[in-house]
Amino acid sequence: MSLRCCKVPVCHGFTGVAFLLALFAVSTASAQDILTSRAANREQLILDGARKEGKVVLYSAAIVNQAQRPLAQAFMKKYPFVKMSFWRGDTEEIIAKISAEMRANNLVADLVEGTGVGELAIEAKFAQPYFSPMVEAMPERYRDARNQWTSTRISYFSIAYNTRLVPPDQVPKTYDDLLDPRWRGKLAWRIGTSSGTPLFLTTIRLARGEAKARDYFQKLAAQKVINFGAGSARTLVDRVIAGEFPIALNIFAHHPLISRAKGAPVNSQLMDPVASTAGTMIIPKGVRNPHAALLLADFILSKEGQQILAEADYFPVRPDIPPKDVLASVIPARAGVPELFISSDQLNEYTDSSAKIFDEMFR
Amino acid sequence: MTVRSDTSASSRPLLAALPRVPAISPLVAVLVAILLILIVPPAIFLLRISLHETMPDGSLGPFTLRFYESLFTGRFFLPSLYNTMIYSLGSAVIAIVIGTVQALIVERTNTPGRNLAFFAAILSLGVPHILYTVAWLLLLGRSGPLNDLIAFVTQQPQAINVYSMWGMILIEGIGFVPLTFLLMSAVFRSMDASFEEAAIVAGASPLRAFWEVTLGMGVPAICALAMLIFIRTFESFEVPALVGLAGNINVLTTTIYQSARRTGAPNYGESGAYSICLILIVTVLLIWQNNLARNAHRYQTITGKGFRPRIVDLGPWRYLSAALLLLLFLFVTVIPAAILVFTSFLPFYEGVNLESFGRMSLDNYVILFGPGSFRDSIVNTLILGAATATIVVPFTALCAWLVVRQVKGAVLLDHLTMLPLVFPAIILGVAFLNIFVNMPLPLYGTLLSIIIASSVRYLSYGMRYAYAGALQIQPDLEGQAAVSGASGASVFRRIVLPLLAPTLINAWLLVFLLSVQAVSLPLLLVGPGSEVMAVTLFELWQNGQVTELASMGVLWMLLMTAVSAVFHLMTRRHQMNV
Repeated sequence: MSLRCCKVPVCHGFTGVAFLLALFAVSTASAQDILTSRAANREQLILDGARKEGKVVLYSAAIVNQAQRPLAQAFMKKYPFVKMSFWRGDTEEIIAKISAEMRANNLVADLVEGTGVGELAIEAKFAQPYFSPMVEAMPERYRDARNQWTSTRISYFSIAYNTRLVPPDQVPKTYDDLLDPRWRGKLAWRIGTSSGTPLFLTTIRLARGEAKARDYFQKLAAQKVINFGAGSARTLVDRVIAGEFPIALNIFAHHPLISRAKGAPVNSQLMDPVASTAGTMIIPKGVRNPHAALLLADFILSKEGQQILAEADYFPVRPDIPPKDVLASVIPARAGVPELFISSDQLNEYTDSSAKIFDEMFR
Repeated sequence: MTVRSDTSASSRPLLAALPRVPAISPLVAVLVAILLILIVPPAIFLLRISLHETMPDGSLGPFTLRFYESLFTGRFFLPSLYNTMIYSLGSAVIAIVIGTVQALIVERTNTPGRNLAFFAAILSLGVPHILYTVAWLLLLGRSGPLNDLIAFVTQQPQAINVYSMWGMILIEGIGFVPLTFLLMSAVFRSMDASFEEAAIVAGASPLRAFWEVTLGMGVPAICALAMLIFIRTFESFEVPALVGLAGNINVLTTTIYQSARRTGAPNYGESGAYSICLILIVTVLLIWQNNLARNAHRYQTITGKGFRPRIVDLGPWRYLSAALLLLLFLFVTVIPAAILVFTSFLPFYEGVNLESFGRMSLDNYVILFGPGSFRDSIVNTLILGAATATIVVPFTALCAWLVVRQVKGAVLLDHLTMLPLVFPAIILGVAFLNIFVNMPLPLYGTLLSIIIASSVRYLSYGMRYAYAGALQIQPDLEGQAAVSGASGASVFRRIVLPLLAPTLINAWLLVFLLSVQAVSLPLLLVGPGSEVMAVTLFELWQNGQVTELASMGVLWMLLMTAVSAVFHLMTRRHQMNV
């Protein structure tokens, strides 16, 4: 861009620069405006702007084949004038990449989605507040009062157990059942990520209060829980299926169901309370294509976008889009087990101290 | 022995009469400058993150020494260090002993079917490390076929606990066997048989001649290799994480991993401090190794004479050695590959049992050949591997030759090319991300940026290979060429390169195979549209099931075998002509 500016004849240089500055001011002002706009003609403004921008980049932790690619295909079918591209990384990688881009003032991402992205937005002040009318269809607890993020998908957490190694009458039904001496050395949990051990500890702390939680942790530590350090929660469930670990704590409740439907010897067991979190979505400060970013955000939160996520085995955040039938049994409300939704604010507040508790008692 | 010192003594005056290998110092300076440009920015990045707090937004905060402090004073440090030493030494010993024995059988005996060993080694190098580890766990795990077998025979369930130190050493050590085999076979191939014959003529038994002469001359190469493996295991992550952590055995990398990734925002300070300490250790090791190489002329075996190695006729014993090769082939290649193939046809893995055979289908492969995943990234992946190897190999060949000839300042080349080995891949990835994203050139997110980073990453591998090869070339050949009026450039091109060719060909293939399977490095560097297969594979590992991962692993193995076979056929003629 700056190279092209040099071609402006010298005598016009000043007016040129002034003009560019003015244009810049206008465009940033309008970018701010459009992101939080609730005007009646918002949709038309976004469409016009996105048409000019012509492209949008999504960084997301969602699976490429089942979620991101179908999303991109459906989005570009609906809005052929915007080319959507995407990049997948874990939340840790997304954070590393987006923070490097922001500091270098070389922002590639227009929209960022994933578990933990909301906490990041709060902690690092990355997010530019935005409004999508779609959030009005969402339950209040999944919405941010400051409009820094929106929720895209819900995760429920439970234990997974190998049905060959854990007889039906011995399946632990409560957190206290996990303290039974017969499970000593047979429980595994996932370390190295905030949705692993810190989330489990945070759940117990929120549910029981600090003193009782600490008491529980001491007993749990005596169970010698196996620290599973390589791979995702999905991988841990695979290890349970393979019979390496009879029971895994704090895994995504729907993963065992997907394998169970194929005949795998695994099941999930909800416990009171069932921890749940939301995958969240932000628009980074200094976004290059604000209109296209909004267009895509609206699309992901729309019935259409949520349906695509549902087909990719995620739990839609919209109550009007049900998840797949096979997954319904782990929705706490349907199973009659109390749910404990842990918001981005709570995660931001508790994760560090839970990680410290893990270091002290379980490493 | 006398033969050796005679040869070198006679070459000395000739070399002294020459201007010490033609027009070199400026060349070293240029090479050092190139290396500095490539290596200093990530090194500075590393130093800075090890000395500063990392803020939530990823920027560097106030100066601190706390990462170094916690590295040494943390209650996990000493036990982890102890475990790391045992693990690294154990793995290096296993890899070198097995790899060397295998190379000897293949290169120096008339064992039937020995050429298949190359095929086997290439095949196993084609298996990405993470898959390889998974395969071993499927095999040796609590519900694996081996435990089932033992339980069937002895009625003792889960007799083998692979989540233990020996499990780590075994898996990591065997994982390096193909690499040691390829390198040692290049060494033995280029070893002049006349020394051994001279020893036998002088009255030594063939066994003693072999032990003292052949193995003796291989010492520097073995040391170079041992160091490579030692350092690589020191900073390895897959096996310690998959095998060690589950058995509550911590090594340094997993200890640091647990500190760095406790919470959402990654904090690389401690791993930065760890890498800086590793760099210091490696520098000491390198200085020690250079002292060893100061007597390098004692190990030079490639002279102007023919240097075909002597093939030993084992007589009936050759069937024993063939059985040994077969056993190695089974354990290093066939069994891990077989369990991957088996798993790739299943909807889920629950050990090897009859029911599983009934569930077999091609579903996992159908998914792979669907849109995306495999097809999109093949071309990118092949370009990445070929470009990296083509940049690294000639460059390191030149560097290695200069180092071996002890050209002034060339020691620097040795040190600089070894540095990237001690950068943990993920840190190197973060460092290059920060470099490319800040560059005025539009490199960020492109395939070219991954090629550059990956060339830096694999410099050390090329260097170790070329170094071991160059060590064996006697300087008199070059001297004679120089006397006949050849320039430095043409001496290198027409004498050194052809003599090094067998080593360099293996090095090319190795760098190719390693760079296409790297995950942590390209993970952050790829942008939309520049995907490479290893990252896709990693994503399957992260989100998919182990069965889909296995099917992609099988396809990957086939592809890499095809690439290697084509490569082998193309270069075979060339090797014949050397």
